[in-house]
Amino acid sequence: MSAAPAIRRLRAANLRRSGAMAAYLFLVFFFLMLPVVVVVLASVSNTSYLVVPPRGVTFRWYRAVLDNQEFTGAILYSLRLALVTTLGSIVLGVAASYALVRLWVPGRAAISAVLMAPLAFPAVVIGVALLQFYSALGVSGSFAGLVAAHMVITVPYVVRAVLASLHGADAAVEDAARTLGANRWVAFFTVTLPLIRPGVVAGGLFAFIVSFDNVPVTIFLLDVRHVTLPVKIFTSIEYGVDPSIAAVSTMLIVATGLFLVVAERWLGFHRFV
Amino acid sequence: MRGAQPSRWAGCGLLSPVLLLLVVAFFAPLAFMAPVSVRPYRPGVGIGEGFTGEHYARLVSDAFYLEIIGRTVLLGLSVTFLTLVIGYPVAYFLARTQSRWRHWLTLLVVFPLLLNLVVRTFGWMAILANRGLVNDLLMALGWIEQPVKLMFNFTGLLIGLTHIFLPYMVLTLMGAIQNIPRDLEHAARVLGSGRLAAFRDVTVPLSVPGIVSGSILVFVLTITALVTPRLLGGPTYQVMSTMIYDQFLRLLNWPAGSAMAFMLTLVVVATIGLLNRAARRWGVR
Repeated sequence: MSAAPAIRRLRAANLRRSGAMAAYLFLVFFFLMLPVVVVVLASVSNTSYLVVPPRGVTFRWYRAVLDNQEFTGAILYSLRLALVTTLGSIVLGVAASYALVRLWVPGRAAISAVLMAPLAFPAVVIGVALLQFYSALGVSGSFAGLVAAHMVITVPYVVRAVLASLHGADAAVEDAARTLGANRWVAFFTVTLPLIRPGVVAGGLFAFIVSFDNVPVTIFLLDVRHVTLPVKIFTSIEYGVDPSIAAVSTMLIVATGLFLVVAERWLGFHRFV
Repeated sequence: MRGAQPSRWAGCGLLSPVLLLLVVAFFAPLAFMAPVSVRPYRPGVGIGEGFTGEHYARLVSDAFYLEIIGRTVLLGLSVTFLTLVIGYPVAYFLARTQSRWRHWLTLLVVFPLLLNLVVRTFGWMAILANRGLVNDLLMALGWIEQPVKLMFNFTGLLIGLTHIFLPYMVLTLMGAIQNIPRDLEHAARVLGSGRLAAFRDVTVPLSVPGIVSGSILVFVLTITALVTPRLLGGPTYQVMSTMIYDQFLRLLNWPAGSAMAFMLTLVVVATIGLLNRAARRWGVR
């Protein structure tokens, strides 16, 4: 009988606590999303300068972006670079991971560490080192050089994701396929690859994003005729901002959001971060 | 790989393309940069012959460079501290909650991480500029007469970088807290400790590995960041990476820039080494 007030008190304390937690979470998520919301709002302003909240509503800045060949060219160049980089790093990363887990390799631990080394290295240092190296070799500004540079920083993501999947996949299944007469290639492509597919897809998605977003390596390696989208936005901002930069940024925000939702539905993206 | 019996060297064969890539586009360029950093540089003439240690000497003696290095490290420490303090409760909630919104809230943390860095920083420029959201709001409310300077200084970089790297800290801490068995907290509660004491004496100490790796990650990312400091700091308020950027793309003084690049690498490697060592010492105890 005397328990009732105590339980009420406890319940009230619990409510207060979860209320405080909810308020705190709301503040943090507000902080996280604020710049995103601001960019979206700024992109529809009917003014020639950047202002939040927007004055009026217009979509002419989106039109301006799509009519501007510098922007559309940059978008296409970024997509091409990220696609080639992703495919290349999947091939190299899967081969390397398979060798590290399933085959005899001398100095396994040292090689794993070497593969991960670019992740611990300042990107800007990799960028300036490649700038000097490429210009000494006379290949500065080449697409192949840019792809190689991007692959250096994307391969570790593929290797990390694929290694995790390979450790979870049973090697005995592949051995069974071999016993039943499949050669190594057939056994790999029909048995092991389907088993590690989530890791390959997740690693590929990371590689794509890392390549598409990169500025600190890319900016040192571009030639004058080509520019990637993030570098284009970065340099445009230094020359003064108008709402068209907010518009192209909003396009990226929407694309990223769609990408995340699709990736989550498709393979449970949250398990890989 | 041909034949029934795989060659002893099949593994090396599969590894050779990626190792070749790393040698050509990572190790060789870094090695190539080392001799450049000890070459003399004459403005207008270019890189000279001979050997000099002046670029390194200037970095550790000139007050201008020392201030920039000190500022970079202070920024790294402040951002690490802020992301840790702000992020821990969020990570704890996401790791422990039974809410069905959990996955979507986690994705809300991941979203800014995937969103282009230039775009996120651009958002902060629109918020912090002299004619930005915050100053407009404060002036409309009549709290200030003149715009408060929130960009091109320590405040602006601190806000922007804390925002950019908070998700890394939250996700790293989340992983560590999820690995702590809930039973341990329950045991502490059953044995009579309060909620706060259980959190302080059980959860936090057991999440130290996550705190260490999250701190290393955020510190290293902060002191090597280029885009955010450049846009929020402008050409005048410099950190180490923007200084390197200017040496290479504006001043064309590659020898000095190379020396700075090695200096930055040294700070990063030293931090990772020291903190890992400290962590191992705590872990043993």
